[in-house]
Amino acid sequence: MPPRILPVHYAGRAGPLFFLALKTGFFTLLTLGMYRFWARTRLRRYFWSAIRPGGIPMEYVGDPIEKLLGFLVAVVIMAFYIGVVNLILMYFSFAFFQGNELAYVLSFVGLIPLYFYAAYRARRYILARTRWRGIRFGMEQGAWGYALRSMAHWGLAIVTLGLTFPLTRLWLEKFLTNRSYFGDQQIKQGGEHFLLYGAMKHVYYPIILTGVAGVMTWAFDNPVWLALMLLTAPWVIFGWAYWKAESFRRMIETKEVGQIRFRSKPRAGRVLGIYLLGGVILNIVLSALMIIIAALAFVVMGGADIFDLGDLEQIEQMSAVTVPVIVAGYFLVFVTMGAASKAIFTLPLAAHFAEVTQVIDPGELATIRQRDRDEFAEAEGFADALDVGAAI
Amino acid sequence: MSETQVQFQVEFDGFADCVAGHRAVLTRVGLRCSATGLELHMPDGSVCQWRWEDIRALRDQADRDGLVLFQKGAVLARLILPKGELADTIKSCAPSLSKRAHPVPWRKLVTWSAGAVASVAAIIFVLVPLMAAQLADILPPEGEKALGDTTLAQIRQVLGEAEVQVATCNGAGGLAALDHLHRRLLPEEDLPYPVDIHVFDHDLVNAFALPGGHVILFRGLIEAAEGPDEVAAVLAHEIGHVVGRDPTRDALRSAGSIGVLGLLFGDFAGGTVVLFLANQMINASYSQAAETAADEYAHNVLEREGISPASLGTFFQRLKDQYGDAEGLLAHLSTHPQLEKRILAAGAAVDGTKAYTPSMGRADWDAVRTMCGVR
Repeated sequence: MPPRILPVHYAGRAGPLFFLALKTGFFTLLTLGMYRFWARTRLRRYFWSAIRPGGIPMEYVGDPIEKLLGFLVAVVIMAFYIGVVNLILMYFSFAFFQGNELAYVLSFVGLIPLYFYAAYRARRYILARTRWRGIRFGMEQGAWGYALRSMAHWGLAIVTLGLTFPLTRLWLEKFLTNRSYFGDQQIKQGGEHFLLYGAMKHVYYPIILTGVAGVMTWAFDNPVWLALMLLTAPWVIFGWAYWKAESFRRMIETKEVGQIRFRSKPRAGRVLGIYLLGGVILNIVLSALMIIIAALAFVVMGGADIFDLGDLEQIEQMSAVTVPVIVAGYFLVFVTMGAASKAIFTLPLAAHFAEVTQVIDPGELATIRQRDRDEFAEAEGFADALDVGAAI
Repeated sequence: MSETQVQFQVEFDGFADCVAGHRAVLTRVGLRCSATGLELHMPDGSVCQWRWEDIRALRDQADRDGLVLFQKGAVLARLILPKGELADTIKSCAPSLSKRAHPVPWRKLVTWSAGAVASVAAIIFVLVPLMAAQLADILPPEGEKALGDTTLAQIRQVLGEAEVQVATCNGAGGLAALDHLHRRLLPEEDLPYPVDIHVFDHDLVNAFALPGGHVILFRGLIEAAEGPDEVAAVLAHEIGHVVGRDPTRDALRSAGSIGVLGLLFGDFAGGTVVLFLANQMINASYSQAAETAADEYAHNVLEREGISPASLGTFFQRLKDQYGDAEGLLAHLSTHPQLEKRILAAGAAVDGTKAYTPSMGRADWDAVRTMCGVR
């Protein structure tokens, strides 16, 4: 029997998503941030259900109240750390070094392992709350190990000026994927060490060419060589899109769920197009909002020229009206732009990557069994407290 | 043969994919709507019924026309329906499709909320101020000075416009007059660092002190004052803060509490504004005692120098006439205790039998008033 090929359909649409994000964004604003647990849950439900491998939607079963509880747990622990540790660092840095840069640096360095720890925990929570065909995904424990290795690998990538970045990316992906499960079936990330270097080629070529142009300009004192930048600058931008598409393809095509494999054909041009077109649309939305707010502010103030600026009382009255308008305008822009960027960037990218991907199943799906529920006392509380992956 | 077949020949209203949640398999089931619920006809011939009032649908789904159904209380089983007549019928028959499927764990929620609030309150209102006070006492003067310099730079950035820092007023005569005045208002024992007076070219009617002996007066305040004694009184009050090391305590305390507040409100819509407001609130409830002490210092030192302490009162009186007493929101946002009380206290500090002299001569006062340039 030939393997069944399950195409991945994408059901998400920009309009409904924009309004969902806008609505939940405003609720979050009105509740001083408390609704963010509901907002994030609802957006994830939407994004997850949009992906339909073989026509069956993914399901996100995370619960807002569980997130709220997890956040409270994290607050109890983190408030102590952040309050007391920041204060002590601040003291020492001023008492002995007469400056607060050190305090910021130390406080930041102290948070790095926690950041990776929280990122792993958040991924584990999200996988544990994801289902397809009624079967739970899951992930083993290993957050501290991940934090340690991430720091080592990222440290190396920084020291080598990014030369080992493709190695780092694959290596950490292996660490995460090899601890992940679909039901009782472990997921594996295959691929040789240097798998992702090819995906970086359109970043490397223009950088090398720029280097050559630089050397030639210097050696022959001929600035005409610098005209090469006209070629290399857009080439690097394309290279970045190519990396996004090609690294995704290379990694997913070497993932193994038992006998199940994936095939994917993402296009760099499409990725680039989404960002370029999206950027233009976003700018139009922003300008429109600014004009609306400026007009509103003008109407509320009743025209600016009748004011006698020497009169203190009038200035007081004016700022009593304008300050709330400005604050409201600021938040309006912020929430709208957040919602718009989800509709303009996140959704089309997810749609493209989903639609070019196929699941190849030689009949193994039917043998995959359910796994137990992974209880999570703190949900993604730490990630929330540290702002890890704040988007979705 | 034909009879048994007839037995299984049920008229279905439609079909759906069913997952039971044991294996990753799909089961095609026939569906029939009855008066009491939805009948699921399994391929093996068995039938089960989901009662209308128990049926729930997953919410916020990308596919708005189709339905993903489950039974209230059931964790795993799902019924995936495409869009069509049957989905619409179910939407109209099932009364509680969008209701919550699981009860809210109120007890747990309340316990943890109370725990979190208590722990944050204990940290912000007890632990951090206590530690800040302790650390401020042992912070060496150079450290205090550095803290003040950093804060001063930040504040000038905030008060300025765009990338331009707010300007300071450097009229030579004015600076000299203020310098002479502030020397008279210093305490008898030496401070660990000199007091540094800055005049900001800004409309605000305000003055404040920073760690390490910085005292900032705003042009708006000098313009609003009706005589040198009122400026002297405000200056004495701010020097009182420097003597009490209040700004240092305050700076260390906000270093501790701002992070905690950021944690609570999360990063929604760049929550900095909320953060700032909230921190101001805590400030106010905290420094009332410090304000009163600074007022007392001002009364004493003015009395010592033969300047009428009443000028602190008259200045407040005029602020009150102009802006009203700081009630409600304003009372919280201004870190000062209510004006009424302070005016009375300033009045009470006046010695009726004593002859007071102005704090500076006419020429000096004119120099101070024009130190930001003549307008």
